[in-house]
Amino acid sequence: MAAPGTASLLRAAAASSRRWLLAASRGAAGRPSGDCVAARTPGRFFGVSARARLSSEDKVTVHFINRDGDKLTAEGKVGDSLLDVVVDKNLDIDGFGACEGTLACSTCHLIFEDHIFEKLDAITDEEMDMLDLAYGLTETSRLGCQICLKKFMNNMTVRVPEAVADARQSIDMSKNS
Amino acid sequence: YHHLLMNEKTVIHERFLPKQGSLQEMPGPKTLSNLVEFFWKDGFGRIHEIQVQFSQNNYGKIFKSHFGPQFVVSIADRDMVAQVLRAEGRTPQRANMESWQEYRDLRGRATGLISAEGEQWLKMRSVLRQKILKPKDVAVFSEGVNEVITDLIKRIHTLRSQEEDGETVTNVNNLFFKYSMEGVATILYESRLGCLENNIPEKTVEYIEALELMFSMFKTTMYAGAIPKWLRPFIPKPWREFCRSWDGLFKFSQIHVDNKIKDIQSQLDQGEEVKGGLLTYLLLSKELTVEEIYANMTEMLLAGVDTTSFTLSWATYLLAKHPEVQQSVYEEIVNNLGKDQVPTSDDVPKLPMIRGLLKETLRLFPVLPGNGRVTQEDLVVGGYLIPKGVSSLCHYATSYEEENFPMANDFRPERWLRKDNMDRVDNFGSIPFGYGIRSCIGKRIAELEIHLALIQVEKAFPSIPTLCIHLQESFKRFGSD
Ligand code: HEM
Ligand code: FES
Repeated sequence: MAAPGTASLLRAAAASSRRWLLAASRGAAGRPSGDCVAARTPGRFFGVSARARLSSEDKVTVHFINRDGDKLTAEGKVGDSLLDVVVDKNLDIDGFGACEGTLACSTCHLIFEDHIFEKLDAITDEEMDMLDLAYGLTETSRLGCQICLKKFMNNMTVRVPEAVADARQSIDMSKNS
Repeated sequence: YHHLLMNEKTVIHERFLPKQGSLQEMPGPKTLSNLVEFFWKDGFGRIHEIQVQFSQNNYGKIFKSHFGPQFVVSIADRDMVAQVLRAEGRTPQRANMESWQEYRDLRGRATGLISAEGEQWLKMRSVLRQKILKPKDVAVFSEGVNEVITDLIKRIHTLRSQEEDGETVTNVNNLFFKYSMEGVATILYESRLGCLENNIPEKTVEYIEALELMFSMFKTTMYAGAIPKWLRPFIPKPWREFCRSWDGLFKFSQIHVDNKIKDIQSQLDQGEEVKGGLLTYLLLSKELTVEEIYANMTEMLLAGVDTTSFTLSWATYLLAKHPEVQQSVYEEIVNNLGKDQVPTSDDVPKLPMIRGLLKETLRLFPVLPGNGRVTQEDLVVGGYLIPKGVSSLCHYATSYEEENFPMANDFRPERWLRKDNMDRVDNFGSIPFGYGIRSCIGKRIAELEIHLALIQVEKAFPSIPTLCIHLQESFKRFGSD
């Protein structure tokens, strides 16, 4: 069982180290994020002034074609991952980004336009392994949580692949008819 | 299992899919013969073997069986496995964890990632995955892991010098057990235990013994979970042992967590800045309660030691058996890395054979024989309706299928090399760390520990065969000989 004093001791510990704590939680907790931390760090640590400095140049517009064919348009900052954009803007893409960018699920699978795909940062071994398990894989597929916005991506269109459930439904329907 | 089938949803499904079979029609061994297999013939010890037998010879790609008294649908087809694992909801459930939860209730303990369910599980998973699952976060552990590897290599030299022939290490698995324990403790507890020293500190000896006992009793303790509660008064021993081993495990991690708390306190008292790794972060951020930290440290230690050590043992065993593979692994290291450089996680991408070696080892000898999931909605799999709430086991027979892996019985790490970055393989056939939001949270830690250790052992001892001549002894546990 817990040593009786432990909890209270920790409370004290945490309180008196608030400065450290703040520093620690900035990098870690908070919202899910891909691996674009380096790019976003200045914005986070400089707070208000950095925010003010953010001009329209640092914004990137992305169009998502959802499973039903609907187009969702959202803006993100340079350095944000596509998962960040979906989460921050509350885009309604069912089941997207279930593992919060930890490369465990492949639900953030997106399909890119050829000319964008060619210019994306090199893929890591870990992303390739997870991509192997993605549903509806194409030649221009990547995992959205690993793709960080850059200026050249402005106005790009990415497609959300058909969901497993959709595929199942259509099979069911065809069996019925 | 009639009652399982009689719910509203099922009826709807059946109307839509008139041709599917029910669980009753699914092939599988009779309950009694299954229990005989399980208890009298030491089913646990031979679980891998039994599974392959079942799936390859007798019952096809989907069949029902009993894991002790628990009813399980086994699935041995890559696409069906993908279907079941992809159907996961917000909080997937792996298996019935009642006995684990019962112990925790009894002792007033919290559940950790393995035993927790629902929102409680998700809350802890969300915290932990942001610290130990992203490759980048785990890369920072390279340095600590390398210190442990330095000790491992030293230890191997010492052990060899003590042998008559000056070459052979007689108990490789014991060695890797200590390495894995030291490695995972470095990461989880931010402290060294001294497992690899020539004179192991007395406290650590006690811990190692306790832990080894825990693992050796684990088979018994699994029976404890499998024995129905009403039978306990008649067969009390398994449950008693189950509790005793958990007591030991919890005690072990509590000591380390409490030590860390004291360290932090004294640093604060002296006005020092508190810096640290995973445990320090968890203690200070208070995203988890102290009891939850105890529980997760305990369960991660349990999950992180023998999994890693058995995999390392199998990998070195396979290398020893295949000198030509060993030679090519060695050459890749020397050519792509140089002889003297100490590798970190940044170097692993330059060594595709090392990655292939780990994948191939786990394909042939996955430490866990399958991925359990309790269906959270009705599923039609392979023409059968699996109602909500049934345990299914996506099992490892798929990794021995010719269709998925040509020359499946052969050890060929190079099968995992990609021709280029566009080369994709549908590899649901071998998913040794599971898949999805409930997959192994220690996956990247295990990869780091195993990749770096294999590189360095390979570099230091290019003649692995003599290193592991006596490995077979250690593998009795798998019932593979
Ligand atoms: C070669 C080494 C390892 C193998 C093969 C392995 C395999 C697995 C598998 C198959 C699962 C179940 C996944 C699923 O149901 O989809 C799992 C779960 C788990 N593993 Fe590992 N594991 C290894 C090492 C580790 C290490 C080093 C740790 C600790 C740091 C660890 C901690 C866990 C935990 C806590 C879970 C439960 C996760 C949850 O339910 O959220 N494992 N492991
Ligand atoms: S969010 Fe899970 S892999 Fe990208």
